[in-house]
Amino acid sequence: MVTAPPRRRLRVIGHHAWLVGLTSLAAGVILVPVAWMVSASVRPIREVLTYPPVLIPKTVSGEYMARILHDPAYQRFFANSIVLSVGALALSLTLGALAGYGFSRFRLPGGQAMLLGILSVLMLPRVTLIVPYFRLAHVVGLYDTLPGLIVANTAFLLPIATWLIKGYLDSIPQELDEAAMVDGCTRVQSLHKVVAPLAVPGLVGVAAFIFIGAWNEYLLAVVLTETPRSQTLTVGLASFFGQYVRDWNGIMALSTLASVPLVAIFVFLQRWVVQGMSAGAVK
Amino acid sequence: MNGRPRRYAGSERPAASPGGALGHHYSLPLAETPGLRHAGAAADARRRRTAGSTRRLPGYVAGYLFVAPAVLYLVLTAVYPVATVVAMGLQDVTAGRWHFVGAAHYAAVLRDPIFWNAVWNTSIFTVASVVLQLTVGLGFALLLHETWFHRGVRNTMRGALILPWVFSTAAAALMWSLLYDPYGLFNYLAVGVLHWSQPIAWLGDARLALGAIIAVNTWKSYPFYMVALLGALQNILPELYDAAKVDGAGPWQRFVSVTLPQLRTVLVAISTVDLITTFGHVDLVNMLTQGGPGRATETVAFYVYRTALLDGNLTKGAATSTIMLALLVLGTQAYLRALARRGEPSW
Repeated sequence: MVTAPPRRRLRVIGHHAWLVGLTSLAAGVILVPVAWMVSASVRPIREVLTYPPVLIPKTVSGEYMARILHDPAYQRFFANSIVLSVGALALSLTLGALAGYGFSRFRLPGGQAMLLGILSVLMLPRVTLIVPYFRLAHVVGLYDTLPGLIVANTAFLLPIATWLIKGYLDSIPQELDEAAMVDGCTRVQSLHKVVAPLAVPGLVGVAAFIFIGAWNEYLLAVVLTETPRSQTLTVGLASFFGQYVRDWNGIMALSTLASVPLVAIFVFLQRWVVQGMSAGAVK
Repeated sequence: MNGRPRRYAGSERPAASPGGALGHHYSLPLAETPGLRHAGAAADARRRRTAGSTRRLPGYVAGYLFVAPAVLYLVLTAVYPVATVVAMGLQDVTAGRWHFVGAAHYAAVLRDPIFWNAVWNTSIFTVASVVLQLTVGLGFALLLHETWFHRGVRNTMRGALILPWVFSTAAAALMWSLLYDPYGLFNYLAVGVLHWSQPIAWLGDARLALGAIIAVNTWKSYPFYMVALLGALQNILPELYDAAKVDGAGPWQRFVSVTLPQLRTVLVAISTVDLITTFGHVDLVNMLTQGGPGRATETVAFYVYRTALLDGNLTKGAATSTIMLALLVLGTQAYLRALARRGEPSW
């Protein structure tokens, strides 16, 4: 660009200005709902729900967020969501990593059929399983418990974990771990010393992806729980829609706080999450 | 991604089949990985492997041990429940006792006009969502695929445009209901700026409610298309564009005759996945309208939820789930067959 003639340079600058302008505008419009939520969580709702809305906040206060954070009922939602997400993450990542390794490194008779079966589970709409889940959860005594939620969530997170991890391991040349085995490593050692370290970036992405999925899950949580003992943040958020008198400030503060961990994960791991998204089928 | 030219995240090759799209192989930047020191031994190892591997146990025994836990888990938590759903639909419960009633529930559901109303709503919801998400996602992907003067700015924009995907449906529903409120932003624009006579009940008007839900769903889900299409765009060979330019094709012609055909495989794969997910979507309907006003936003998925859990008729809910699965399989088949080109297998 340094050597470009001035006319061309002008055109290039014009192109960039146009591009940045248009994309910023699009991003601005897309983020309006988020901005409204955040703004309603830090100032009186009468400034937001009015004609015209007050754009520059007159008062900014952390009282709504503080109220949520100090309320044991909401703390319980947070704790439950953390337990659910970490539990589902540990379970699906462990089983998914083992299976991904198995499918990637062994030529299994029937392996293709099993992979396709896993893919079909991935495509299965959750709502078609709520009836048997509801009944089974009662039968095995896991209704309205966090372990029950973890088990049910893992059924839908494990397929994507398996597929993503298998895909990632396929991209690590098999010759590497075979060379290690030829040099005297056992399979477990080659897995531990060669494959696992190379797979870490992929696993981080899958983990972020699964955590987001579990944290945001709503349908299973609303079907399989009934008391705050085991209800998660999404159920707590959705209960707002049943309220007669709506505490907008409180719910927007809760909604903002509930989204903070995800936005943080996304910002720090954007690259890996994006890889998981473009490879994955889970939204 | 610092200082690695032309390798954006998500720039994997377009897959050859929907299955392939899901099981994408990540391209690992091998040159930067610590394992490289082993790579020299690779060719060597391949030669020696033939001799070595015959001495080991049949490899697949160990392989089955690795995959067994996950497969068993899914058999217990997915395959078995699907089987029971079909069986439950053939039964009924009276006074806590299950007994066989044959196809009675299935017949009742198929005769229920409310069910067919739900099928109609689902079709609108699904088709409109998929088309809108695809259009918005493709538009943003094209913008992000342009030559940007600064990598960081581009990635920030990409991050901002993906952000809606990160939020839960619950948070999205709340954000939008704040905008849809009688005193919310949309009604300010309608009444305060456009001087309409009165605020609009976006979610309370039978003609608008489904559209209002589609808007939220599109907002929440287009990033999925954007990211996948961005990856696919980066895999189109620049030579194709150069050739088209030489032939005198303008930007629009290049888009139609190079970009779209090259994106075809990915578009078919992700739109199929999206059709299936959108078809089974319950969250937003349950939170925003509960199928109302009247039955204006009741989808098949919500019909299942309402029948089984709100009305408490588990067996009829199970029958509807089975019908829903059948509709899903038929619909997906029809979609893929319609898109399959002659001489190509339809998946």
